[in-house]
Amino acid sequence: MDDLFTQATLYANDYVRQWRDGGGRTVGYNCVFAPLELFEAAGLLPYRLRALSNAQTDLADAHLSRFNCGFCRSCLQLGLDGAYAFLDGLVEINGCDHLRGAFENWQYVKPTPFFHYLKVPHIVIDDALEYFADQLVQLKAALEAHFAVTIADDALRAATARQARVRELLRRAYALREREQPGLTGAQTMALVLLSSTMPSETFIALLEKELAARENAALPAPRARLLIGGAATDEVELLRELESLGALFVTDSLCYGTRAFWPLTEHADGDPLRVLAKLYLSNTLCPRMFEDYPARRAFILAAAERARIDGAVFVHNKFCDVHGIENVLLRKHLEEQGIPVLLLEKEYGAHADRGRLKTRLQAFLERIGRP
Amino acid sequence: MTNPAHQGLFERVANIFSLVDHIGDTLSDAEVEGLLRVLPPESANSISALMAPHLREASLVFLRTLSTWMREARAMKAAGGKIIMVPFNFPPELVTAFDNAAPLTVEVLSTLGVVALEGQGERYWDLAMGLGLPDHACSSNTIELGSMLSGEDFRADGLISAGPGGCDANAKIHEFVSQYMDIPQFVLDKPVDRSPEAVALYRRYYRRMVRQLEEFIGEELTEEKLRRVNERANRCTELYYELWEMHKVRPCPIPNLFSLFVYATRFSMWGTDTGVACMEKLVAAARARIQAGAYPAPREKARCLWAYTSIYYDFLGLFNWMEDRGITHLADALDLFMPQPVDTTDRDTMLDGMADRAWDMPMTRQMGGPSMSAAWIEDVLWAVRELDAEAVIYCGHHACKQTWSVVSILRQELMKQAGIPLLILQTDAWNKSMTPIGVVQRQIAEFVDQVVAPQRGGETTRRRRRRPADSSPASST
Repeated sequence: MDDLFTQATLYANDYVRQWRDGGGRTVGYNCVFAPLELFEAAGLLPYRLRALSNAQTDLADAHLSRFNCGFCRSCLQLGLDGAYAFLDGLVEINGCDHLRGAFENWQYVKPTPFFHYLKVPHIVIDDALEYFADQLVQLKAALEAHFAVTIADDALRAATARQARVRELLRRAYALREREQPGLTGAQTMALVLLSSTMPSETFIALLEKELAARENAALPAPRARLLIGGAATDEVELLRELESLGALFVTDSLCYGTRAFWPLTEHADGDPLRVLAKLYLSNTLCPRMFEDYPARRAFILAAAERARIDGAVFVHNKFCDVHGIENVLLRKHLEEQGIPVLLLEKEYGAHADRGRLKTRLQAFLERIGRP
Repeated sequence: MTNPAHQGLFERVANIFSLVDHIGDTLSDAEVEGLLRVLPPESANSISALMAPHLREASLVFLRTLSTWMREARAMKAAGGKIIMVPFNFPPELVTAFDNAAPLTVEVLSTLGVVALEGQGERYWDLAMGLGLPDHACSSNTIELGSMLSGEDFRADGLISAGPGGCDANAKIHEFVSQYMDIPQFVLDKPVDRSPEAVALYRRYYRRMVRQLEEFIGEELTEEKLRRVNERANRCTELYYELWEMHKVRPCPIPNLFSLFVYATRFSMWGTDTGVACMEKLVAAARARIQAGAYPAPREKARCLWAYTSIYYDFLGLFNWMEDRGITHLADALDLFMPQPVDTTDRDTMLDGMADRAWDMPMTRQMGGPSMSAAWIEDVLWAVRELDAEAVIYCGHHACKQTWSVVSILRQELMKQAGIPLLILQTDAWNKSMTPIGVVQRQIAEFVDQVVAPQRGGETTRRRRRRPADSSPASST
């Protein structure tokens, strides 16, 4: 696990390097609406951008502003300073205003060889689904044209089956984490989710099967409190590790780099594989940028809370992130109405100096819920 | 015992504005002075700006327009009709077309609260913050919605959200209020690109909203009702372009505050007789000033376009202060809604036209396109060239994350494509506590004196723009 943990905290980890050394090409994306199956069917490695607590944003700050969230500024910084030089292209998605700005400035300053904008509607109705299906057709055509490949339906179906297996295994990992005697910490689980989007699915499946078998009987010490962590784009494994050092465990989550990246994507159907993918992603993905779907997100979190038998919930958002900053207040109201104590944490992304304050807030929360 | 609803922003603002109904078409200086003495100091600053002699008559018509808008909403509520809150980037005439519903525009109410109330609406902002909402939410809507959330204000019956695709903060706060207060929300999403397919999709989204509203209000939106508002909206459109053309005159005779008057009318009474009358008054006042060769300063020092919003917590300190120094505020991006006449042939042509106009509303039109900055840059550059602007100012409202995301690109492209400098401010345009107006003034003055004026050579050397045929030559006095 230690090695996996280390690999998860690198941008170009061993798996990415092996893929590149073998002549593989890599396309970056940064949103849970990205249809991974399409990239894989094209023989490309879909790589989810991350910032891994990078706090250095001097290059990005010349383009984005201090009113943009630190995570997006960090991603832009890494794009401009060469950390993502191993990417052969980028696919932008209209996840949020900050992220869009990061991609636009990246392309303005340092264009990548391939760039495509996948436009995702903000509502789920038949008309929107049609539009999104057409967007996937356009993405497919763009990938085929630029990378000189053909994306066959059979390849798409095979990739769909592999991604379904990845999601199934990740749910098993979460079962280990959520059980009475957890076998994985929150930080370890986040590392697994991060790794899943940096390597070919076949490799990840083999790795995760082995890891799950090894940890089947693992039992962590009983935590001070069982917590859910939710909120904004949080890929800060080290932050979770530090927070868990207080003795509480994040036994489940509703993070963008957590359950929301895979858990809801379970709907399978026959038919045209691109339309299947369109429905799978648009109808099921849970993200606060979907402005009519709050009840589904609340239900998802309440189900996770019940499944993992949590003592409380912590919702985080990066400073200036509106979609999560505002949504978290609603979630607090509705979870507290269900008797679940909630802590809201606004944080500056990647700021190591902020961690002491966050730990103090969590410590106080643990005392408030009777877990001193 | 005071009715809690009377402590809310809407009731307080509506009460203050109702005073305008008791004032004639003119006010003497002594009467203005008397009026200002009874107003709180903060609001006196903005009201005195409106009562400056050169725009007083137009201001009274404008204030009466807003008073009528609020009075009609109150009457609708009292009669059992529905109040539908709309954001500024949604054309309110769709709601106006119903016999049993009235629109109230969130950002207009927030602005009126900032202009007219003691404390400038900060109390409602604080109430919203007290719920835990983040301080980077947008004050333009959170001030009014904070008042509603507090339970101290009237309760809207429905909310239209047109933020998706244009502004996350706007869309999210509407969803929040809908969920928090259990008020139905009607969402209008904007597809990213403006391809024929996307335009067709948007029109279908718009019709979906119309059907939802018809069902909710319990009333069919007939062709006759749509034609009634669209004929008036089309007249407003004609008047908008008359005024736009007159902005091209050098030095610009149009008072700086007219920019705000135009879009405040667009966001409230467009498509009504009152809205038409207000626009007619603005055009007449502007024409008279052209004929008189009027300009408020000895010379026009700089012609400025504001790239997004202006600043609303001190009209005197911004609009009139600029005027006094020969700095013309030609327009801001909220004026760039590019109205086009709606074809009133039948219900379908009108709904299509109204959907297209919805797409052209400010922010919706400029933001969230295939490129985050391209449509914004295109509109700003177009306006710069149309109005012969020499500088652009970005107000830097802290909550406008989408424009903050790409303002650096706007700055570079303005310089590259037009040689026009951009001043980037940092403010909360509805809350003076972030950046005092004195700081804003200093930055604008330095920008104009150090950057714009030297480029211009200190004199009006650029070619004179085309003027309406009936106007007399403009002078600089």
